[in-house]
Order: sequence, then C-alpha cells, then structure tokens
Amino acid sequence: MATTKKEQTKIKERSKKADEKQKNILEMLKSHGAKIYDDLDNGQFPKFSIPSRSVSNIVYDKKLRQYILGSNAAVRSSRNSAQLRSFTQLMWLAFFANRLTQERKSSTLRDIYYSSQAFAIEFEDQSESDNIIVDLEAVTSKPREDFHIFPEERSSIFGDLTIEYTIPGYEGKKMNLSNHPDGYSIGPSLTTAELVDTSAEIVIAIEKGGLFTRFVEEQVDKKFKSIIINTGGQAPRSTRTLLKRLHEEMNLPVIVLTDGDVYGEHIAMVIKSGSANAAHLRDLTVPDAKWVGVWATDIEKYKLPTIPMTESDIKRCYDLQKDPRYQDGVWKKELDVFLRLKRKAELEAFSKYGLTNITDKYLPQKLELAKSL
Amino acid sequence: MSSIKEQFNQISPSEFFYSNRDLAGFSNPTRSLYTAVREFVENALDACDQKGILPDVHLIIKAVDPDKPDPKPYILTVKDNGPGIDAEHIPLAFGTVLYGSKFGLKQARGMFGLGATMAILYGQITTNKPVTVKSSVDGVTQDVFELLLDIQKNKPVIVKHTTKEVSKKGLSVSICLEGDYSKAGTKIRDYVYETSLITPYASITFDDPKEQKFSHPRFVKEIPPPPTIIRPHPHGIDVERIRRMIVESQFEIPTIDDAMIEKVRKDLGLSVKNLSFTAIMEKAKKKWKTLPRQVRVVISLMSFLKMDFEKLNKIRIEDIDMPNKKLHYWDFGDSQSKSVDMDSESQYYKQLTNTVQGEPLTTFLTKRFQRIGPTTAVKFAEYAGFKPEKRMGTLSNQELVNLSDALQKFEDFMAPDSTCLAPLGAEPLEKGIKKFFNPDFSAVVQRPASAYSGFPFIVEMGIAYGGDIKSGGPHVYRYANRIPLLYDEGSDVVLKVVNETDWGRYKIKGEPPFIIVSHICSTRIPYKTAGKENVADRPEIERELRLALQLLSRKLAAYMSKRGQADMAKKRANLYAKYIPLIAEFCTELAGKKKEPNYKKILAENAIESKQTADVENTIDSKQTVKEEN
Repeated sequence: MATTKKEQTKIKERSKKADEKQKNILEMLKSHGAKIYDDLDNGQFPKFSIPSRSVSNIVYDKKLRQYILGSNAAVRSSRNSAQLRSFTQLMWLAFFANRLTQERKSSTLRDIYYSSQAFAIEFEDQSESDNIIVDLEAVTSKPREDFHIFPEERSSIFGDLTIEYTIPGYEGKKMNLSNHPDGYSIGPSLTTAELVDTSAEIVIAIEKGGLFTRFVEEQVDKKFKSIIINTGGQAPRSTRTLLKRLHEEMNLPVIVLTDGDVYGEHIAMVIKSGSANAAHLRDLTVPDAKWVGVWATDIEKYKLPTIPMTESDIKRCYDLQKDPRYQDGVWKKELDVFLRLKRKAELEAFSKYGLTNITDKYLPQKLELAKSL
Repeated sequence: MSSIKEQFNQISPSEFFYSNRDLAGFSNPTRSLYTAVREFVENALDACDQKGILPDVHLIIKAVDPDKPDPKPYILTVKDNGPGIDAEHIPLAFGTVLYGSKFGLKQARGMFGLGATMAILYGQITTNKPVTVKSSVDGVTQDVFELLLDIQKNKPVIVKHTTKEVSKKGLSVSICLEGDYSKAGTKIRDYVYETSLITPYASITFDDPKEQKFSHPRFVKEIPPPPTIIRPHPHGIDVERIRRMIVESQFEIPTIDDAMIEKVRKDLGLSVKNLSFTAIMEKAKKKWKTLPRQVRVVISLMSFLKMDFEKLNKIRIEDIDMPNKKLHYWDFGDSQSKSVDMDSESQYYKQLTNTVQGEPLTTFLTKRFQRIGPTTAVKFAEYAGFKPEKRMGTLSNQELVNLSDALQKFEDFMAPDSTCLAPLGAEPLEKGIKKFFNPDFSAVVQRPASAYSGFPFIVEMGIAYGGDIKSGGPHVYRYANRIPLLYDEGSDVVLKVVNETDWGRYKIKGEPPFIIVSHICSTRIPYKTAGKENVADRPEIERELRLALQLLSRKLAAYMSKRGQADMAKKRANLYAKYIPLIAEFCTELAGKKKEPNYKKILAENAIESKQTADVENTIDSKQTVKEEN
C-alpha cells in the first residue's frame, strides 16, 4: 500500500502542477484584460506593445541556440483605425483562449476561425485568424497549445511510455503508449499529459509515416529501447514540445532520421533549434537533438539510389548556407555535399537492399555514431 | 465670254446658301431639325435679351403624319414674348438671306439672323410649305404672314397676310421641314436642358412629337445687364484693320461740282443772292460753327483761291500739297495748271490739313479705340516712336506695320471694355449649377475680360462635384454666348484644356462624379466651322480657360481633401462604434468583472470630432462662389 500512497501523492503533485500551469495562464490573461478594462473605463483608448516579427527583428541567439525576436516592438492601439480591427480580433482571441483554458477544452486553428463568427468578429480567412493566434503567442510569449489551441496536423508516437491524462474526464487515468501498433496521435490530451514512466533510453524522431510503421513492425522500440515518433514532415509544435519534455523530464537523448535531402536536414534543424516562424517562442527546441541521417555523405557511402535535386532544392541549399546555424559541423559539411552531388535520396531508398535493411543495418550504425556526435 | 462673267455675278445670297447649306448645319434631316430648333430658340432669346424682357420661349415640334417613319415632315414652332417685329419688316426679315438687325460689335447668340432664314429656306426646299410668322409689337394686333422665299431673286413672296386681335406681344415662327426626330430627339432635349442652365432667367418649354412635355421654368428673376456696342481694343489689332480705320477717318477732298456749290450756298443761306468773295468769307466766318465738314473744306479752298462761286465753277482742284503749302488747280478758262500759296498760319490751312492728312495719332487712338485716353495715347506714341501729332494719313506702309506691332505689344492699355459682353455672372451660373446637379461642392469663377485679335472675351466657368452628378466625369458643358455646344466636341479648345489637366494632382481619381461648365462670351466667338459647334484654340482664349480651370480645380482639390478627412473621420467613428463595445465585452470577461467599462466617453468624443469636421466642410462649401477681380 505504501507504493499506492506514494503514487497518490505523485498524482496529486502532478495534477497540482497542471493546475498551477493553468492558473498561471489564466492569471496572465486576466492581467492583460484588466489593463484594457481600466483604460476603457478611464476614457482612454487601450493599447499594448507587441514584439515585431519582421525579418529584421529575428536574430539568432547563439547561447540559446535558436532564433529569437530582437528588441523591436510595435504598439497596437485601438485609437488607430487601421489597427482597430486586429486589436479587437486579438482581444476576442484572448477572451476565447481564456474560456478554452478555464473549461479545459481544446480547439483547432480552424475551429478558431469559425468560432469567431459567433461574436461578430470576421476573419477574412483562416490565415488571418492564424496570424492573430501568432500575435497572441508573441504578446504572451506562450505557445498556442498553452491556450488549448492546436493545429490539425497530427504526428504520432509509439513506445514504452506511461502517461497520465490531465484533460477533463480523464484526470488521473494512465496509459502506456506501446499498446497500439499504429501509434498514438500526438494531440491535446497527450501534449498536456504528465510523463510518468519509461523504460526507453532514446527517442527516435522519424520524418515519414511509412518508416514509422516499419520501425514499429520491426520492433525498433524493443530492440533499441526507444520511443519512436513520426514527425509527419516538419514537426508540429506539440510534437516539438513533447520531444523537449521527453528529453528534459525523462532524460532521453533525441535523434532525428530524415530523407537525404536539404529539407530533411532542415526538419532536424528545426527540432534542434526552432524556426524563424516561432522566434517569438521558447521551449520548443531540443538543442541536444542529433541528426543522424540520411546524410549526403550516406548517399555515396551506402550507394543509395538517388533522384536529381530540383531548382528549388538547390535554391534552398544556397539559402541555408546563409543561415548562422549552418556555418559549421555536420550541418555545413552535409549541405556542401548536397550541393556538390545535386542529387537526393529518400529513406525508402534503403529498400533496394531489402525492406529491413534500414532497421537491421543502417539504424544500428547510426545509433552507435550518435553517441560520438 | 461676258455671259460667263454675268453668271458669276448674278448668284444671289439665297442661291449661294441653297447650294452650300451644309456649311450652316443643314446637312441631313437629323442635324437640320436640331439646327432649326437652335436658330429659332436663339433668335427668340436674343430678341428678349435686347429689350430686357424675361423670356418665355415655347418650342413645339409636331409630326405632320405621326405614323410615317423618320425622316418625315415636322412642324416646328417657336413662340416668344419678345418685342415682335414690325409688320413692314417681316417679309424682308424672314424672306431674305442676309437681312437682319444684328450688325455691330456686341455680343449676341447669332450674328446676322442668317440661321433662321437658312432654316426657313431648308424647310421650303424639303416640304415646299411657306413659313408662318405671327407678330405683335403692341400686344393688341397681330400680323400673320405666310411667306415663301424666291431663291433666285433673294426676295420674299407673301402668300397671305392677315391681322387679328391678341392680348400679348411676341413673335411666333412656324415652319414645316423634313427632319428625323427619332435621331435628333436626344440632342434637342439636351439642347433645351443645357440652354436653360445658361439662361436661368428664361422659361423654356418644349412639347415634343411624342407628346412629352419638358418644362424648364426660370429660377433667376433678374436678367443680366444687356451688352452695349463699343469700339475695338488696341490689343490684337492688325495692319489691315488700322488701314481700314484710317480710311474711315480720312475725308476726301470734295468734288466741287454744281451740286456741291449749291449745297454750300444753301448752308450759308445764299441760295438766291450772288455775293462777292469777301462777302462770302465773312458770311462763312459767322456761320462756321454750324457748317458741315464738306462745306468747311470748300470754304477753306476758296479762301486760298480767293474766288467767288462763279470762278470756282471754272476750275478743278488737282492737288493739295500740304508740305510745300501749295494749292494746284486746273483752270478751264485758260486751259492750264495754276497754283497758289497757302498761308500755314491761317485757320483754313489747319482745316485742310485735317482733311488731307487725317487725324493726329493721339486723336486717332483716343477717338477710335476703347481704353485709350489722352495721357495713354501720348505715352504710347513715345513707346512706339511716333510724334503724338503725327498725321495718320502720312503713315508709310512700314510705319503702319510698326504701329500695329506696337499696339499689340504695349502693355499699359487697360483690359478691354467688357460692357459689350453679356456674361451670365458668377451668381446666376452657380445658382443654375446647384439647381441642376444638386452637387456636394460647386465653385464658379468669372475671369477678367481679355481680347483676341481685337475682340474682347470673357470666360466664365463652374465646377461641381458629387450630389446628383453621374460618375465617369469630368462631364463638360460647353457654352459660347449662352449657346450650348453639343456637336464636334473632340476638336474644341475647352475639351483640349480639360483633357490636358492632370486630375490626379487635384485629388480627383477614378471615375469621378464631376462636371465642368464653361462659358465663353465674345463679340466674335472663333468657331472652327459655320455650324457653331466648336471653338478654335486661340492662345488667348486657351490661356483664360486654363487659368479659370486651374483656379477652380484648386478649390475642388481643397474640398476633396476636406471631404477625404471628413469621410475618414466618419469612417473612424463608425469603426469605433463597431469595435470598442466588442473590446469592452471581451475584456470584461477576461478581467473577471461583471460590469462593462464605461467606454461611452470615447465614443461620444469621437462622434463630436467627426461632426466638427463635417461642419467645417459645410462652411467651406458655402464660400465657394468666387468672383475674381481685375
């Protein structure tokens, strides 16, 4: 019974932690709301400062190893008739996020777009509402997931990881993520869940659903004591948050496996150090994450079947060469080789040597290599 | 050979116009119907203007057989409440080409009353029906004439003449002519509409063949001051005109024949008696002041010849040599040429000098031009390098050219006298624009008088924006001497000036609801064609048009920017009213409050602001009438 008691305390602690987080968000929204309220009550046009997200204000922070916003900020004022509409939209979003957070309900980006219409807030299209959501993130320095707003895109996870839900109706309920071979989709309930226990020693993030299925089939989770995550191309924020938590809370190293092209390389980079698009947010990066392949040099080394790079692939290479994160190490080296080869290879290319070649041969070599990276 | 020559000489004005009717706007049934309407309506308005009568003009067009397809005969009738025409003049006025009362230098819609006769001529050619003229000059009796034109003889043929009793003065002219109303209708209706804009003191009604009635009652009760006849302005005069003026001013040496001698006798009161030379001279001295110039000249000659009438009858004056003070004559009795000296101190010598060499320059200028007084004349003579007393008759060709050049260039002449012009005036013009277009903004300007080629002119212009005006502007309403110009607008100087304006500079963009009314008044409008539809681009006129348009455009631009601000303020107030309550609603829940903040203060302040801006706009609006001073 001692364990149970201990367990219960842990549960309480965890739920307390979740409550704490929720409380902080609500407090913050309230203080913003109160300021606006007082301004109006005093006969003044409310306004607030919003960090500038223009390209000139996005700088690379070497210490944090990610892009951050500089010190430029703009004032958004309700007096300015050109800003009044977006000011009101943002107020509505804060108001709506406040309700979501209080009621612990989640909403998709598209939901937000439609929900607005019940309040006479017209977004012209979803891209306008998406943009306001980024504004809210920038003002509060919190990712939208903290306000229970999630994108539609879902990536998935599989492996021996026990979680405990915090969402209403499931509080305290536990779940092991190795019970369903198709994997578990990383949505609001998983993102907000507490990470309880794992036997895994590593997290393998893989770019493609097809390979994810192969890895589950080949029991990579068991063979290599790993948690497998399908990023579904560029990893969504929630997935990046989960990767970060697995790394920090469960002390698991993270390796990334992508297609052998410049976009794959950058998928790994975003997991490691974030994107310029999310420069207004912290806590989305895993600076210790390692990209293990498929490298440009692997194409030659493993004699992989290739396809030629397109114009836009090549242009992307040159663009990334200017990025401060690509100035040294494996990042610079592989980029240069891609440019030299002007050819690329997908993860599936290993199937040339047998369907399990990638898990039997390539992966073990790379896992070994990762230790030295 | 001589018979060919005779053929040329015997073409009558009627025949000439008959064969050249295109020139006067009678080229086809559509155009002809329109031109006929114009000519009669304009004559009616001119007649009333000249007598200071507020015109009531009634235009009626009726198809002779409504069921026939166009073109077909129409009966066109124009009635006015003008002074009418005396019965004795009617046949000549309506049955002769080039007969009229409108000669002289002053502004009128038509020059010689030519067009009306052309319309009658056209009617007669196409339908072979007489013109019916009803006229009453006293408001008691009316003379009714039916007339035909004898084209070859240029003479009226009176078909019928009756009189009857009436209760009103005025003239009514009715002709039957081939026309095409289905095509000309729009233009005629436009013409009537536009005429009533530029003639706000007239009531014009129009009954059209489709039994529609168009009524344009007068909305200005005062008739503009009528024009006066004046002398030419020195600016823009040419050598040929000066030459003609000198000829007019110079007096020929009278031929001394029996008739002349008889006239001198009579004027001296000596028709019966024969007096001696000395007695004649004495009698003349006494009566000098009452004697006409011709008689004075004869007396002066007699004073040097020292002859009585009997002797005078036997000579002929050959030459009067003023510089050498010699008088040469032929003596019939002795059959030889003789001469006598002239005493330059004598008053008779002076009389002859005037007659032979014309007036001194200064007198010529002050007497024959407007805007030149004695001081200006002397100043001008100095400027032009002439002695002020220089005799006009002694100018060489080169001197004439120099004089003409100097007259055009000398800048100290006052602007031409515009009393010969009858502009509508800024106030009635603006009243018309406001009534016709109910615009949000209007401005009017009357430029000071100017001159081209010696003819004075005035440009009046109005501009209006918004209100009932259709978009797609600028719509240009062109007028000349109160006539709307509807055809051939492409080649008109007003259109040229408007088209060359960069409206973007005046904050006017896209397809603006905006009109321009341009009125050129002149003793002679430089029409490009005889059809009186487009004005030629004389640089002087173009300049005045441009200045007027620039002035008005600047005012419009000021209004547009005010309007823009007012629009913005209004828009802003609307935005606040829409969004601030929403912000209040959201932040109330966000801040965890029950009661909404008092945001009404913000909205109230902004409503006032936007209203203030609108008020400013209105004040500006009412100050837009501008009359430019010299």
